[in-house]
Amino acid sequence: MNRIRPLVAVVVAVALVPATAADAKTKITMSGSTSVYPLAKKIALAFVKKYPGQASFTISQGGSDVGIGDVAHQRVDIGTSSRDLVPGGDPGGLTFSKIARDGVCVITNSDNAIANLSQQQVQDIFSGKTRRWDDVQGAKITGPIDLIVRTNASGTQDAFRNIFMGQNLNVAPSASQKSSNGLVQSSVRTNKQAIGYVDFKFTAGTHAVPYKGVACTLNNAKSGQYPGIRNFWFVTLGAPKGMVKKFVDFARSPTVQRTVVGKDYVQYK
Amino acid sequence: MASAATDFSRAVPRLWSDRLVGPALGAAGVLVLLVIAGMAVYVFKTAWPSFHANGLAWFGSGEDANAALQKIFDSKGPHYVYTLRAWPLLYGTVLSSGAAVALGLVLSIFAAVFIVEFAPPSITRVLEPVVRLLAGVPSVIYGLLGILVMVPFVGDHLISTERKESVLYVVQLTGASLLVATLLLTIMIVPIMIAISVDALRSVPSSWTEGALALGANRWRVIWTISVRASRPAIVAGAVLALARALGEAIMLAMVSGGVIFAPNPLDGLTFIYEPLQPLAAAIVQGAEGFTVKPYGATLFAFAAVIMVSSVFLSFTGWAVRRRLRRFGVQA
Repeated sequence: MNRIRPLVAVVVAVALVPATAADAKTKITMSGSTSVYPLAKKIALAFVKKYPGQASFTISQGGSDVGIGDVAHQRVDIGTSSRDLVPGGDPGGLTFSKIARDGVCVITNSDNAIANLSQQQVQDIFSGKTRRWDDVQGAKITGPIDLIVRTNASGTQDAFRNIFMGQNLNVAPSASQKSSNGLVQSSVRTNKQAIGYVDFKFTAGTHAVPYKGVACTLNNAKSGQYPGIRNFWFVTLGAPKGMVKKFVDFARSPTVQRTVVGKDYVQYK
Repeated sequence: MASAATDFSRAVPRLWSDRLVGPALGAAGVLVLLVIAGMAVYVFKTAWPSFHANGLAWFGSGEDANAALQKIFDSKGPHYVYTLRAWPLLYGTVLSSGAAVALGLVLSIFAAVFIVEFAPPSITRVLEPVVRLLAGVPSVIYGLLGILVMVPFVGDHLISTERKESVLYVVQLTGASLLVATLLLTIMIVPIMIAISVDALRSVPSSWTEGALALGANRWRVIWTISVRASRPAIVAGAVLALARALGEAIMLAMVSGGVIFAPNPLDGLTFIYEPLQPLAAAIVQGAEGFTVKPYGATLFAFAAVIMVSSVFLSFTGWAVRRRLRRFGVQA
């Protein structure tokens, strides 16, 4: 045993030397959306598996705005964003490359299986204008509405505001904020009066309310019928170059779109 | 493999000569101090913009803290917004941990007296290990219990629709409340308090209690005026330890306390205990996703700084109180 050990050490060292000595690894830094983060991590892992030793990744999260700001100031190579480019609002010279799409569902308790909600209804409920289920057309229960939302740092909160509320409407400050999709899900599941919103992978055990007449499912999102859809972007300063371009192209390649993205999200096309 | 093990054990006495042990242990001690000092410096440095921008008003009340945090999170550099009135958070921290320790004191003293004075040995043999085991349960387990069992129960059965309607435009009563937060906190901290009180009650010299009994005092009076009184330093020590744990408890409280910053109002009558709250530590957990947003991160670190200072302050108070009480009782 004791004699074998140095031998093993030498073998490991030899395997490591070419990689470190030549320093062939390109470091790719990324920051931005918390919603894109799990997907970005999966794509980066797939990339490292396919092209071992070519690139290493540092991915941090902090919200789409942080990612866009970081890439514009060249603090990172790629910013990730779960919101679209704001013309005039965002710094110039940025290239947005779409890598996936994702849906946000409004959910209620199973005892309150509402057949449909219009955008106006969603806005009235979440802004606190409508506070009783009695005043919501199609509601199966009466009494006060309990709003369950995400914390303000959340990407899903950001998407909900953009897609459902519009920039000028805020969620009522009395709403109960949860720090994850799972906590929103469990709160809505156990509270008859509740309404919340989650990423559509988290609707089990609750009633996913059809929005503008379309059911909130991965299939309806894939076919483009469900309107509660947001885009996931890789943002670069100028067109992607070198290893970054290789990575972005890899993310958008049909194979990765089918296997990595298509499993939990909607392909970008 | 076997030969390597014997080599190692033989090497131990040679390596750890007295000459080496002193400096080695000293280095470990200094390292601990350095880590603590470094942590304190980092926390205060990061938190400084939040305190600096608000001054003493940081500790006051005013604008809705939920809306203020949203503005802080949305603000863009270089014009970061730091405005925050953190009173509801401070109040929530004091209220939940204070209520839990008060409840815990009563419960733990009664339980400890029962274990030491009244319980038959067969029960004590089971009860004591169970109490010590309970002290080690991770708080996230209590959080899960709270969110899956207690919160829905309180929401469905204890809070009436009329009660919910009565505060409809102020706050939502979902069951995640002061009541659940305090009860769970109490369950979490009581085992430590019982364990410490039991040890103290046992160490009261039997000559003291026997003397009192011989003078004709009844059993309850002996327990109350001699045993419990003599154990006060230990009971205070237990309460301080428990309070420190309650102050720093984050995960469980973030799960069951309602997810909205609100100051429960005792003037609301019974509704008071059903109102949500958010202690500082829970607020840090809630906002953890946004740490990288500069002003938001600074605000969360400001919460951390307040918790740190209170813990230090608490330790000193506990030490001072114990020192005064020790003159009248057993060592703790």
